[in-house]
Amino acid sequence: MTLTAKEAKTITQAALKAATLKEIEVRVEASRAGYLRFANNQAQTSGATERIEISVTASEGGRSATATGTARDAKGLAALVGRAEALARLSPVDPEQMPPLGPQRYVEGAARDPKVAALGADARAELAGKLMRPANKARLQAAGMVEHVDRASALANSAGLFAFYADTEVEVSMTCRTGDGTGSGWAGAIAGRAEGVDVEAVAARAAEKAELSRDPEAIAPGSYVVILEAAAAAELLSFLFSGMNQRAADEGRSFFARPGGGVRVGEALFHKSVTLRSDPGDRAHPSAIFGEGGLPQAATTWIEGGVVKALPCGRYWAQRQGGAPRPSPGSWLLAGSQAPLADLIRGVDRGVLVTRFWYNRLVEPRTLLATGLTRDGTFLVEGGKISRSIKNLRYNESPATLLKNVLALGTPERVALGGRVVVVPPMVVAGFNFASQSDAV
Amino acid sequence: MSSSRRSFLVAAGLASAGVAWPRGLRASPDHRLPAAERPPVTATSAAALISGSRLLADEALAGQALEIARKAGASYADVRLVLWQRDRVSVRDDHVSGVGASEEYGIGVRVLADGAWGFAATSTLDRKAIARIAQEAVAIARRNARLIRSPIELVATPAVQGAWVSPFEIDPFAVPLQEKAELLLAAARAAMTVPGIRHVSASALAVREEKLLLTSEGSRIHQVLFRVMPSFTATAVDRRRGRFASRDHEAPPMLAGWEHVRAAALVESAPTIAMEALQKLYAAPVEPGQKTVILAPSNLWLTIHESIGHSTELDRALGMEANFAGTSFIAPDQAGKLKIGGERINFFADRTQAGGLATTGWDDEAVPGQRWALVREGTLVGWQTTRELAGKIGEAESRGCLYADSYASVAFPRMPNVSLMPGPEGYTTEDLINATDDGILISGRGSWSIDQQRYNFQFGGQFFWEIKKGRLTRPLRDVAYQANTIDFWRSCDMLGGEGTYQLGGSFSDGKGEPSQSNAVSHGCPPARFVVNVLNTGGDK
Repeated sequence: MTLTAKEAKTITQAALKAATLKEIEVRVEASRAGYLRFANNQAQTSGATERIEISVTASEGGRSATATGTARDAKGLAALVGRAEALARLSPVDPEQMPPLGPQRYVEGAARDPKVAALGADARAELAGKLMRPANKARLQAAGMVEHVDRASALANSAGLFAFYADTEVEVSMTCRTGDGTGSGWAGAIAGRAEGVDVEAVAARAAEKAELSRDPEAIAPGSYVVILEAAAAAELLSFLFSGMNQRAADEGRSFFARPGGGVRVGEALFHKSVTLRSDPGDRAHPSAIFGEGGLPQAATTWIEGGVVKALPCGRYWAQRQGGAPRPSPGSWLLAGSQAPLADLIRGVDRGVLVTRFWYNRLVEPRTLLATGLTRDGTFLVEGGKISRSIKNLRYNESPATLLKNVLALGTPERVALGGRVVVVPPMVVAGFNFASQSDAV
Repeated sequence: MSSSRRSFLVAAGLASAGVAWPRGLRASPDHRLPAAERPPVTATSAAALISGSRLLADEALAGQALEIARKAGASYADVRLVLWQRDRVSVRDDHVSGVGASEEYGIGVRVLADGAWGFAATSTLDRKAIARIAQEAVAIARRNARLIRSPIELVATPAVQGAWVSPFEIDPFAVPLQEKAELLLAAARAAMTVPGIRHVSASALAVREEKLLLTSEGSRIHQVLFRVMPSFTATAVDRRRGRFASRDHEAPPMLAGWEHVRAAALVESAPTIAMEALQKLYAAPVEPGQKTVILAPSNLWLTIHESIGHSTELDRALGMEANFAGTSFIAPDQAGKLKIGGERINFFADRTQAGGLATTGWDDEAVPGQRWALVREGTLVGWQTTRELAGKIGEAESRGCLYADSYASVAFPRMPNVSLMPGPEGYTTEDLINATDDGILISGRGSWSIDQQRYNFQFGGQFFWEIKKGRLTRPLRDVAYQANTIDFWRSCDMLGGEGTYQLGGSFSDGKGEPSQSNAVSHGCPPARFVVNVLNTGGDK
């Protein structure tokens, strides 16, 4: 194991013992990771890394500073604490500095799979070989990666709190391109457990999409019904997730601020099928059990039946507003249905099927308007069937509009997105705005 | 005296202390702007940073790693001891909200064995860990060799013994925390006095990168680089209308010391930035359509980065980034043939440029920093290469574009500073405005997005002035411009002169899997284009 709870405690205790200021928080992040990239149907860079990062936040009377380092021996830890304390003493007072939390109770975390932790060079090469096999057979150009991590994080403080969480993750993805350069198909999978990733299915899907996407035709930009695969939906929804913040809403600088004052909690902003939750103890998709300052992560419903129920709220702001803090969660779980993607396609008379989006950026925080482009498998659907490959398109659209205009939701699946556990369904959405065409394949 | 001349003085000092100077940095080509205003670090203090380095204590371990890798069967190996230090002070509204000092130190071993790459890294610096990672790197390469169709080959580079310290005047890590905090707090106060400004965020980030590279070919290179990034944003909020708008300072990050943060004049510019945030809140919405725009250097640098910087990375053109960063609209055989813009368009890649975030003595495989043409008089003429890539287009030497962002990351092709040369007419920004009958002046970085082959892009900005009959008339809001790379550069019909040339840059250019972040700068004059202007406000 990369770092056991006992080892983490040894580190945090040594740091706490070395401290002289009143309020100390120690965080430890450790990981063992491996990856193999391949491109042009052969292995590219590949590596294995062992990392540890220890952070000490020292505070007294609102003066606070954080020092971070990689040394875990007693001498290194004492020096780290010394650095944090010296900076804290010089630091101007931060009136928002919160005292350390006392001991907390956490849900049981069971997010570490020893099978993922045991993956090494042989397993990576074997997985990469399997990913490339269909592409090699079909004479497609294959590029992709295999990545796995075994990691642990711990937090302890001078008020007696100790929290520890360990998890694993395995991720594969690949892009197949046709030799004539006109077709490209992507597929990927990510899971906490080794059996959660079906490598053969990913390989087959990427190759099939590449073949199917040959010789795309241009369609005019404009408003379309879209079928977004889970990866595409998640890319756009990430702007909604990161825009969910109680303080920014209270301050009037958020999509969730109500014009004239107040916040939009309690308003039916989205379609009634939209329910967004977080749950550290979710059986299929467990996630981090503690957040800011060691606050326990709890099962929380953020949006229910299209109505905003709550927004994440930090410790300082919660205290100031007289409410309970809700740490930024370790997972986003958007509810869906049992319907497979094929059923969603069958239900669409005319629309655009999107495999994934690329280079997505927020354009306007007030409306959550974002821009980005389709990529690696964009198709026209007519009469419930994929009728042809189409050229990629740039969208200008808001995830808020997306969730307002939902026509159907499919089966939720885990997607790779910015370090959190994100599980969303593919979705059919009306009135999606494509703004311009792209020649990119 | 130009700042490249000053860099040379540092070099001369180091050379007398028995270390070589990268050959590219001896040259003094034009456009090495901006120049520093005070004398740089003395040769003695630069030499002291090298000779007093704590990395030297672990050099023997690095040497052992090299030896173990060689014995285990590596045909090539390089070992990097890498120390990153980052000091950050952040301010929110009227108070300090974060003080942080982080250090990341470890060792990475990269090997070629049986024609395949292997890499391993650890933050544990002892004999046991070193032996483990050196053997692991070779084992990975050997296993992956079974997945190789054409073995990896490197073009030759001379073995070098060298050291380099990036020019700086004031070590940002020696500036007292109180001074940094007070600068940011004073700037925040100055902005908050403007009625309607409800929030300010400000920060100063100082980064020190130190690396000691040993290669199995006998190179030994020790470098220390200082980079700084001042940030400042004022936000105006109108609760009644439910609107808000933010305005960022346009001061770029730079390969420099604290003198650059001082020169950014955060306190003096804060009231203007605050006023402009307010102006954005009440500005007129833009009318969309085909329009002439003048892009200030503070905006254009990022458009250069995305449309020219990334499309001339040879690894992309060869399909090596197909699964993530993407490929390129340019094919590897198009150098000397493809017309990217008109006669006035000249792009240089430059790892020797004063202040450039990607400026360096040598890259992570011992190739010296250099300057070369990518686009000459509108035609593509060059590529960004590494020792692995150069041979694939028949070149005998690497352009020195191989980097890693940490001890724990494998070095791979990364962008040099890529800059647009000024026009020969010597135009000022005012000349461009006066010559424009109907258009928009766009400055600062807004949102940015481009497709995976670098055709279609859409960019925002920080501030937008309407131009009518050669005059700035009124601020506009909700402006974005969209174009296709070649149409865009071919539409360029006016460039500012040398006096208007400025560097912009970023600390976080993402590429690769697992993703790495690179610091890079782009210099340019203001320039005039025809683009598709969008209204992104969703209302009028």
